[in-house]
Amino acid sequence: MHSWINLSAKNMSDSKRRKLQTPFYPVLSPEFTDETPLTQVYVDTIKNIKLISKVLVELNSVLPISELCHLKRARGRDILVCQCSGDLQSEDVHQILKEKKFDVSQLEGNIKKILVAEIAPKTKKQYQTVNKLWPCNFHSDKYIEQLHDNSLFGASEINDHIKYMHIAVDIAKFYNSHSGVTVIDPSINSIVAVGFDTQHNNPCQHAVMVAIDHVAVTQNGGAWNPTRGDTVACNNKIVSGLPSEALKFLQEKYTCIEFGAKKFKAKPDAETPSDGPYLCTGYVLYVTREPCIMCSMALVHSRIKRVFFGAKNNSGGLGSLCQIHTVKHLNHHYEVFGGLLEHECSSLVTVCS
Amino acid sequence: MVELTDTQKDFMNTAFKLAYEALELQEVPVGCIFVHSSEIVATGCNTVNETRNATRHAELNCIDIVNDICKSRGQDVRDFFAGIEVYVTVEPCIMCAAALYDLNVKSIIYGCKNDRFGGSTVFDVASVLHPITQSVGGFRAEEAMSLLKTFYKGTNPSAPPHKVKLKNKDK
Ligand SMILES: [Zn+2]
Ligand SMILES: [Zn+2]
Repeated sequence: MHSWINLSAKNMSDSKRRKLQTPFYPVLSPEFTDETPLTQVYVDTIKNIKLISKVLVELNSVLPISELCHLKRARGRDILVCQCSGDLQSEDVHQILKEKKFDVSQLEGNIKKILVAEIAPKTKKQYQTVNKLWPCNFHSDKYIEQLHDNSLFGASEINDHIKYMHIAVDIAKFYNSHSGVTVIDPSINSIVAVGFDTQHNNPCQHAVMVAIDHVAVTQNGGAWNPTRGDTVACNNKIVSGLPSEALKFLQEKYTCIEFGAKKFKAKPDAETPSDGPYLCTGYVLYVTREPCIMCSMALVHSRIKRVFFGAKNNSGGLGSLCQIHTVKHLNHHYEVFGGLLEHECSSLVTVCS
Repeated sequence: MVELTDTQKDFMNTAFKLAYEALELQEVPVGCIFVHSSEIVATGCNTVNETRNATRHAELNCIDIVNDICKSRGQDVRDFFAGIEVYVTVEPCIMCAAALYDLNVKSIIYGCKNDRFGGSTVFDVASVLHPITQSVGGFRAEEAMSLLKTFYKGTNPSAPPHKVKLKNKDK
């Protein structure tokens, strides 16, 4: 198997090298990419800095700021009194404190309005911006940072992603379809199913929908594709997620690639719910073209782990028209990366559609 | 809220019967029918468990039936869908709404809101796809919702499906 990327840049730092070579981009929720929303608060100054911890304890007990608990209460001698809400005027702030039996003589009374982060920052970059406005608590999430700066994958993983997208392109060409799909079980590095567009046969048979049904076949189900029995591959894996002609074609072209799903256990045999494959749980899907909204939501229902697409789609649901994978109220979310083999993938669209 | 005609109420009733059937088969209790020229051309319920395919919702099952009809009659699928009225007990999910809008179905009449996956409640698909399809909901919504609740609560021997049915008939 030939190397998919050139690893010649030896003297660059590891992360820099990875960044330059990552041939796809993450499609992230706006909460990570947008600027943190801001809100206004009233700030006063403490007279005697030596008393600051006592004053803060008192203030936290009489006037807690539960909605802004991501913010520190003090910056030097400045202390955050409360959020500016409704028609609360700066003149009224001390009155509120007095009503709560707080000794306002400890404060200068030079009340200012300042802008602070309304919610906790999600990324280091957001943190650095809002922390300049007012000190902020921040717990860096290594995984989110790697996702955000596109350094999640090492060179060999990137090679795998390119390889599986290449196979999706092969499948599209093999079936003369403008879109091709491969579904991988990353825990065994094996191709579980493929998909290709058959809308000429049925308007819902987009490549992703066909692939999802092929996965169902490996679990003794399927609606469009008749179950091909317990076809077991050489390494004790179920290969019924690939039509036999596609399996033969790919096995001949790629001698080092694994095919098939882990053995499916029907309910009576399964000891625990996590015993054996369930829908597309844990699987990664490679599709040459950004899925439409129907397909994007089908992948939510199917509990896919991660999706890579090649070319953008004007009616796509993973970044172009909307971001189905980041809709807050849904019970499942998956990661999306776009632009993988974009050139090859977009040429499929123009050639075949 | 718009009032349904007696014919439309009958169609909705057929959709509800399918939802009760689905509940007995331990599938998510959603029933759906497709009507063309005042005639029921497809009926479906959710078959996710049977097919082990999480996309086999009632609406997509009906689309498949209509597609087969068109092919056997040699009729243009897209032309035919433009005359389809959808009656479904629960607001179509984001996936099904996108599929129905893409097919330019004439109308969607539904029962209760779908607050887990709804194609207008959870994410408004129409706001990005700008469909010509007319969509209206709220018919026998409580009954449709109580069916869903019965299902998600698990098999509750004290409230079997036929009891729920009777209780709602009283109204
Ligand atoms: Zn699609
Ligand atoms: Zn649906």
